[in-house]
Amino acid sequence: MSWLVWRQYRAQGAIAAVLLAAAAAVILADGLAIASHWHSILVRCAGNTTCLQQQSTLVNGVVSDLPYISLIVPAVLGMLWGAPLVAHELETRTSDFAWTQSVTRTRWLTVKTGWLLLAAAALGGAITALTTWWSGPDNARFASAFEPGHFDTQGIVPIGYAVFAMALGIAAGTVARRTLPAIAVVLGGFIALRLVISDFLRQHYLAAVTTYYNVTGAFTPPGQAWVLAQGAVSPAGRVVPTGWGDLYPALPASCRALLPGTPGAKSGASLNAVFSCMRAHGWRGFATYQPAGRYWPFQGIETGIYLLLAAALIAGTFAIIRRRDA
Amino acid sequence: MTAIETHELSKRYRRVSALTECSVTVPEGRVCALVGPNGAGKTTLLRLLAGLARPTGGTASVLGGAPRQDPAFLAGIGFLAQEIPLYRRLTAEDHIRIGAHLNPRWDAVLARTRLEELRIPLDQRVGTLSGGQRAQVALALTLAKRPRLLLLDEPFAALDPLARRNFLATLTSAMADAAGDLTVVLSSHLVTDLERVCDHIILLAGSRVQLCGDIDTLLAEHKVLVGPRKDTAPIERTHTVVQTAATARQSTLLVHLNGPVIDPAYEAEDVTLEELVLAYMGADEASAGKHLTTVGEGS
Repeated sequence: MSWLVWRQYRAQGAIAAVLLAAAAAVILADGLAIASHWHSILVRCAGNTTCLQQQSTLVNGVVSDLPYISLIVPAVLGMLWGAPLVAHELETRTSDFAWTQSVTRTRWLTVKTGWLLLAAAALGGAITALTTWWSGPDNARFASAFEPGHFDTQGIVPIGYAVFAMALGIAAGTVARRTLPAIAVVLGGFIALRLVISDFLRQHYLAAVTTYYNVTGAFTPPGQAWVLAQGAVSPAGRVVPTGWGDLYPALPASCRALLPGTPGAKSGASLNAVFSCMRAHGWRGFATYQPAGRYWPFQGIETGIYLLLAAALIAGTFAIIRRRDA
Repeated sequence: MTAIETHELSKRYRRVSALTECSVTVPEGRVCALVGPNGAGKTTLLRLLAGLARPTGGTASVLGGAPRQDPAFLAGIGFLAQEIPLYRRLTAEDHIRIGAHLNPRWDAVLARTRLEELRIPLDQRVGTLSGGQRAQVALALTLAKRPRLLLLDEPFAALDPLARRNFLATLTSAMADAAGDLTVVLSSHLVTDLERVCDHIILLAGSRVQLCGDIDTLLAEHKVLVGPRKDTAPIERTHTVVQTAATARQSTLLVHLNGPVIDPAYEAEDVTLEELVLAYMGADEASAGKHLTTVGEGS
């Protein structure tokens, strides 16, 4: 049975390997250039934080979008390999050939989905290994590995995405019985789920930590933390996110008058004066964030969610195929 | 021993009944013609027997057990669908190797020899072969499985007369090789396609069985009676009139005999298979279906 899978997919597998090699070459070349640039900055600044922060971005242009291939690859795998896996056999009626050999449908599906899910995990893993390595200097410079858009392109989550997209394609093709609608389902379903999880669900995997600090000072959570919200809290407990548009109407009138450029501003108005005034009125600064130490637990939770969904889709596919009238 | 035995086998697709209370028997070693107009339920019956579809009513026993997803059952069945499904981008040789990996009694030599005899290239994608060649490849693969029951759905549909002859020759030699251990059911909407090779027949019309049995027995049990036009009630008391045709003075009755015809006014003539099939196809479904399903059932 594995030989059939090999024979059916060897050409596509070769194409995928060539594309992967090309992507790896680009990422390696670019990554090495970034690393040497980063190294020269480190040497020049010699541990001076201000100097480091003044350096321009490390990556720019098209090359800065490289990590997104770890988002695109899973979707493409699901559309090109997952969707036709069952659907194309039903469309061309080759299922009649396959299902009347001396092999049960269960075994046919086990071997076929097994190899393709494994291929998805391997390709997802290869891509994420490359982009994780590539993102190293950028992570160190901006401490942003936990932020949405960076978190999703590194670590182990792309493996979960790839396996899920493949499973979604297989299940959609089994239900729709046609390849084209299944491709549409993968595209729509995968993007929708990714958005829902990264924008709404991920921040709640573990209860966020809130730290209060002196409003005249500054606060940055240690390490590569994911800051969900930062701003000021009034003595009455009113939470106002950063941004003067929100803050201004909430301020006590006496503090408002200290803001430079306000009509009738007092002499000696400055931002520092506003902060001191706020502090005198009992305001505090706050930051709500996921601490840096939760990066890997979050990677694990998110990968687990996608793998569980993939398992459910594959289980559904087995139930349908076993009962289907072919 | 019977290769196929069904009892009131039925299949409904939503509101449409594709097969209604089908009870048929095919003894082992027979070549059975499955005939009927388009949409009569031939494909449905074959797919139910192969275990590709599940019945909504009744039971089927194929090679001694219900059709099921089980390697031992599947190994005994050779199924060739009407669309001749093959992987178009793979070669015949690829298919032979796939079969070797998926079947316990695979005879790769047999398949290669048959295709080489027919001068069908083994190393060419099957999608580029002609329809007749593809059908031969599919038949060779089905036979290489060494099935005990061969289910062929409209195998002649895509074939020109020469390809039909080759196809039938292949089938006949396979029957000879198997020495009575191979049963074949092949469907067609034209009985003339099958007359030369078949010794058993199942006739479906309107999703019901109209006729099932050994062809020679059925031909012996039916006669065409030609006589003056008169009341047929006396004939119908003993025999079953399947079809009546009448001119102004003469009437022609196709009857299923239940004994000798006593009335000397009638002249009894032998019936051909085609006449028999057409008569039952045209017969009123309700009356023909009920009491004739087991006509001519041999032991």
